[in-house]
Amino acid sequence: MGRLRSLIMLCIMLILIFSGCYDIREIDDVAHVLAIGVDRGVSDKWRLTLQFASLNENSGNGQQEGDGSSGGGAASESGGGQDGYTYVTVDAPSFFTGIDMLNSSVPRRLVFTHASLIVLSEELSKDDIVGDYIAPIIRFREVRRTAHMVVTKGSALDYIRANQPFIGTTLAKALQTAATESTNTGYFLHTTLSDFYNQLKSTCGQPVVTMAAVNEFRHFKEKGSKWGNEFNTGGQYLAGQLPRQGQNKIEYWGTALFDQGKMVDELNGQETRTLAIIRGEFERGFFTLQDPKEPKFVIPLDVRPAGRPKVKISFNGDTPTIDLTIHLKGDILAVQSRLHYEQDPLLSLLENTFKKNIKSEVDQLINRCKNLNLDVFKFGDVAARKFWTIDEWEKYNWNKHFKDTKVNTQVEFVIRSTGTQMKSSPIPGTEEED
Amino acid sequence: MIREGKFGVQEAMWLTTITISSKVFYTSPGLVVSIVGNTGWYMTLISMATAILGFTFIYLLLKRFPDKDIIAIFNDTMGGIMGFIFSGILGLYLLFVATSTISEFNEVVKVYVFPLTPSVLIIALFALGVLVLCLLGLESLARFAKLSVYAMLFGFILILLLGIHNYDINRLFPILGYGFDKILVSGVVRSSSYGEVIILAVFATSLQGVHHIKKAGYTSLIISGLSISVSLLAFNLSFPYYIGQEIVAPMYQMASLIDYGRFIQRVEPVFLFIWFLSSFIAVTGVFYCFVSIYCKMFRIQDIRPIVIGSVIILFAGAMIQSNIGVTASLNIQNIRQYGWIPPFILPLISLVIGTLRKRGVKSCG
Repeated sequence: MGRLRSLIMLCIMLILIFSGCYDIREIDDVAHVLAIGVDRGVSDKWRLTLQFASLNENSGNGQQEGDGSSGGGAASESGGGQDGYTYVTVDAPSFFTGIDMLNSSVPRRLVFTHASLIVLSEELSKDDIVGDYIAPIIRFREVRRTAHMVVTKGSALDYIRANQPFIGTTLAKALQTAATESTNTGYFLHTTLSDFYNQLKSTCGQPVVTMAAVNEFRHFKEKGSKWGNEFNTGGQYLAGQLPRQGQNKIEYWGTALFDQGKMVDELNGQETRTLAIIRGEFERGFFTLQDPKEPKFVIPLDVRPAGRPKVKISFNGDTPTIDLTIHLKGDILAVQSRLHYEQDPLLSLLENTFKKNIKSEVDQLINRCKNLNLDVFKFGDVAARKFWTIDEWEKYNWNKHFKDTKVNTQVEFVIRSTGTQMKSSPIPGTEEED
Repeated sequence: MIREGKFGVQEAMWLTTITISSKVFYTSPGLVVSIVGNTGWYMTLISMATAILGFTFIYLLLKRFPDKDIIAIFNDTMGGIMGFIFSGILGLYLLFVATSTISEFNEVVKVYVFPLTPSVLIIALFALGVLVLCLLGLESLARFAKLSVYAMLFGFILILLLGIHNYDINRLFPILGYGFDKILVSGVVRSSSYGEVIILAVFATSLQGVHHIKKAGYTSLIISGLSISVSLLAFNLSFPYYIGQEIVAPMYQMASLIDYGRFIQRVEPVFLFIWFLSSFIAVTGVFYCFVSIYCKMFRIQDIRPIVIGSVIILFAGAMIQSNIGVTASLNIQNIRQYGWIPPFILPLISLVIGTLRKRGVKSCG
């Protein structure tokens, strides 16, 4: 019995001693990569850019500009105990060789277990080779499939160079919160590596990826003739074109549409909202509606889904017919015209106007995607229910037939709340009203 | 006679359930998807039903010989030589299952957790643990299984619930996957997944009578069937069929997709806990069964020297596998394809011959 106990103790000690012997990574021996940028290379196939914390308290005192090929540094805005971030770039024949090449110049081992952002350049995405670039990343055990994925205007290198914490000091948190901000706006979708990869191989539709860009603030005009009474929804811009200014150059806006592995089109912010509504991924957004009675004014609405979109698909021969019903609800945020939109008949007018607008946008987007033969709406997932076996489904080839679909859309919208006001009283003027 | 101790229905039931269910954490779900598509979750219920039928033969056999284990029954019904051969086939099958499971464990651990740790260290440490538990005896193993099952169940349910945000009901369609014929054939053939229920027949004398074996056997098969079905359902809901068949360890991958922002993510350690513990119990259960059969075949009274020697064979057998491709697509696939023969067909043959030769008692009170 004594020998048995000794043996058990020995085993426990061995397990404690040997565990992690080979795979152990001391925290100060590694650099945790937060963002991975992928461009087409010049000196070799891949241009791989990796961003990680520099773990240098003083690194926030300045920003080292890289030459665009060999690396550089980008640090947080202020020092004083705040950690900064840096990046390295290399042209390499493959993803993994690139990592090894970079590891030879980075004094810590690069690990990817905390990589939360993958950036593909638009140029790369428009080539028919995205699958070649994604394959090694998806297979790599360190990269989590929950990593956010974006396609950027310009190069991924430029994007990562501009990718710094804007509020707070933690880039990891900034990346996380920024990517999930889509739930509050709907102007971009939250796509992960897993989403993209699943859709890339899908027999039910085509992939979409969040569009991002470095906004150089060129679209912000400080001077010029002032805006009149023309109406804009605010969502008509493409990524990188928002007329804004400030510290943060990075923006997520719109959606890249892929035909299998190749980016073929881009949606603006408003179209992306519409896409999110159709896919059932829209959670909330402020919509600006032109006042039906006083077109020079606008009525902002806080819109949320009132249920998941209902998709019914039937087949007439090989031709599918899709009946799509969208349910939305909203709150009135303001009535600039001070008309009594809080109650009927103006309330119904407002609801119907919004319904009409959304239906028009939905129809336009579906027609546009039908012309491109891209089912990015996940209709194919529902269509698969109509087939008994995978062989029948694959033989039918939904991605080939999507362009032939007939889509009937219907939008339901109700205003649930008028905000903190029951009505808007007129502002009395000094002049007599007519 | 080897002294293997005595334990109750619950211990036997949980030991068998864990031994059967642990394979869902390895490459099997991916292989199932490549064969039957997104229908593995109900295909396994066909397997379970087939295994219940197979276990009924085992139970009827044990009922005819109420105080004997299956090795003694083989000898009694088939005669000395054929009984020895039948026992040998069963023992070798269990050894092959144990070595393949360790090998699969090693490969999957290396892929996801310890890529740089040499196989020899992982397998050696695992085999060492198996050795210690075997030396502690069957009763300790059964009680350990019952003790740990509550934590494992909690972790298992937690992972399934947390994964809900990745579930998409549309992924279960087309509802017949690659066709009902494939589902039916695979369902019957893959009853081998439940073949470990044979350990109850090997350890029959450690239980309190045939009615306990009956209760433990049927209950463990039903619980295993449901837990495997729920796991495969969660997996089918999380991954489309064209992705599911690519993944090495789908359940691990499923756990790694759990992401509720910064609040809850990276919950794989919970999965690893269940995975390691269940693998350890499963391999030890099957391996001890092999050792027990060996000792009974050669009428060896002291199991301990045999355990030490057999662990070396276990270690060597697991080390022989060259890579995950061989382990997953050759060994495991062969076990699933033909593994129903030793645990279900051999007892059936024995039952038929025993009945024809009028061996044993006709009924048990």
